Amino acid sequence: MKFGKWLKQQIEETLPAWRDKFLSYKELKKLVRLISSTESPEYGKVDAEAEFVYLLNNEIDKFNAFFMEQEEDFIIRHRELQQGIERVIDTWGPNGTKPSQAEYKDEMAKVRKDIVDFHGEMVLLVNYSNVNYTGLGKILKKYDKRTGRLLRLPFIQKVLEQPFFVTDLVSKLVKECENTIDEVFSVEVEEEIVKVQREAITVAEKLLSMQEIRRGSSTYGHFSLPPLDLPDSDLIHSFQLNSPIPTV
Amino acid sequence: MEARPALSIQRSGASQLSNHVVAGGLSSSLPALSTHLEETCQKFPNTQQAHAERELMTRHLAHATLLPANNGVVGHIFSSSSGFSSDIHYSSALPNEQNSRNSPFISQSPINTAALPLSQSSNSLLPQSTIPSHRNKENSGSWCTDPDFLDFPEWADQLITGDDALTSNWNELLVDNDMNLEPKTAYQVAKPCTTVPAQTQQLPSPSVESHSVVIPSSSANNAPAKPRMRWTPELHEAFVEAVNQLGGSERATPKGVLKLMKVEGLTIYHVKSHLQKYRTARYRPEPSEGSSEKKLTSMEEISSLDLKAGMGITEALRLQMEVQKRLHEQLEIQRNLQLRIEEQGRYLQMMFEKQKSGLDKLKGSSSNPENPPAPSDATNESPTKIELESSQRGNGNSGTGTVNAKSMLERSPQEVCGEHTTPETVDLEKAETHVSESSSQQPSKRPRLEE
Repeated sequence: MKFGKWLKQQIEETLPAWRDKFLSYKELKKLVRLISSTESPEYGKVDAEAEFVYLLNNEIDKFNAFFMEQEEDFIIRHRELQQGIERVIDTWGPNGTKPSQAEYKDEMAKVRKDIVDFHGEMVLLVNYSNVNYTGLGKILKKYDKRTGRLLRLPFIQKVLEQPFFVTDLVSKLVKECENTIDEVFSVEVEEEIVKVQREAITVAEKLLSMQEIRRGSSTYGHFSLPPLDLPDSDLIHSFQLNSPIPTV
Repeated sequence: MEARPALSIQRSGASQLSNHVVAGGLSSSLPALSTHLEETCQKFPNTQQAHAERELMTRHLAHATLLPANNGVVGHIFSSSSGFSSDIHYSSALPNEQNSRNSPFISQSPINTAALPLSQSSNSLLPQSTIPSHRNKENSGSWCTDPDFLDFPEWADQLITGDDALTSNWNELLVDNDMNLEPKTAYQVAKPCTTVPAQTQQLPSPSVESHSVVIPSSSANNAPAKPRMRWTPELHEAFVEAVNQLGGSERATPKGVLKLMKVEGLTIYHVKSHLQKYRTARYRPEPSEGSSEKKLTSMEEISSLDLKAGMGITEALRLQMEVQKRLHEQLEIQRNLQLRIEEQGRYLQMMFEKQKSGLDKLKGSSSNPENPPAPSDATNESPTKIELESSQRGNGNSGTGTVNAKSMLERSPQEVCGEHTTPETVDLEKAETHVSESSSQQPSKRPRLEE
């Protein structure tokens, strides 16, 4: 029941308000077990499958409704945040009506926190979509395995078209948030951080080149230095020296 | 009410079942099933189906003995075809009745809610009868046929005229009922439209059909459409425009906004619920501006801490953002992978069918070697490289034309596809052991992909 445990974990870790909006995986699994163990010509495979499909569709409706409502909220919030930034820049910004460095910074900090939280919630929603899709796929697979029918493939094709799975809009909003954060908040503190990062990287480079030089060589002689053994060489290697650093 | 006879039919059908049902297994799974039912019940408190289920559950809970209770719940789940169709009959017949008789609908529900400890806020919606019944009504016919947009403007106007009297309580109704009511009833009625033994056809296509609006056609009772509306930023922009033209979020009325927006397919319900959300979203930021001075001092403290400690708020926020970004990227990758897996599954299925038809043709001529060339031609048309390689492999092995090959191919798309959507690689390893040799090459491709 690996997925079942993982799903439980996801549900526990998610926002409290979302907890009952996830797939009822355990119940569906029990139903599948029931169907496969109690099949008889009395009610037939057809009806059991119809019932199973019915429950699955209920779940899908649940996902759709929840997802679209959240999406609507996100659209509204996104716009409000953008407007909030403009408002802050217009009032307390350098060219605003009441330019004030301190207030500007504070308001911007607030807005920044809001954007980051907003971004996080949207990512959570995309995760929600993925988790439930995966769950559906798995329960369908179980059903097919137990009953020998071929329900999964066509059913999952339809699921792919469902609103809750089509997360394009939310992803777009996520990327817009990221852009906003980069544009508006890139200047101030980032420079210092980038400087520190660059220093660290040059130090790492030097250490690595030293390590290269002092590697145990074939021409080891009486005067050769012993190989340099850096304890954190893995860490230093992982600094990704080839990654492009924006030169500001 | 119609619900009772239908239930009795279900019960009688189910009593035959009970002999076949494994009592032990059933009783253990019953609580789970009943909780599941309860969950679904809770979500759709105002539909007749939910009432029927709730009645089932009250009886289930009330009965001391297990067997009759088994009958009640089992009868619902594994109803005989006669019980099933009667189920459908009353659910489709019901919406037609609701037009004329709203009160019985309400009177029944308080009884049920008293019986069950449902802690739904939507219970408070019960006194306001007209809207839920309206929604049930129109959903009855809506999903059967394609949306017909021409019918829409007539009763939308009817709606709008009768609208202004409704209170803001009604908005709450909308918000809760929006998601709860209509999908359930919509699905209920979708079933009579398709054939009863239909399996894979009974899919949530109605809700897919139109993201915006579905119009009731056949059994239209001049009721408002209440399907789910999928908002977009552009639509929202138009909404805000209209609201601002009308003097702001507090002063704007849904009717006015709807008229200004002039968006086809938009109902006043959508506008109402959206307006309420909009108001709530705007209301909170405004009070905070008044108290911004207080927050100033606390912000100053924090920013000074910022300088003292190496990792302040901004740094923490930055890290949080980074983590969220990465997570989002991973999710996108996972999604794309899932899409491609399904694509491949579909492709393999098609291949298999082609091959099967080829095999059937060749049974007359009895020449086996002809099989491999046909599939390999088709593989050249495959969209992605990976699909090409793995389907070639899959078809190469199944080209032996035995029954085993057929079943392997049949299972492989499902197993491979199913397994690879899990985030944990341990399941991938399981897939490699479960999947037959013809497709055993495929899983090894996946980890490489993911890296």
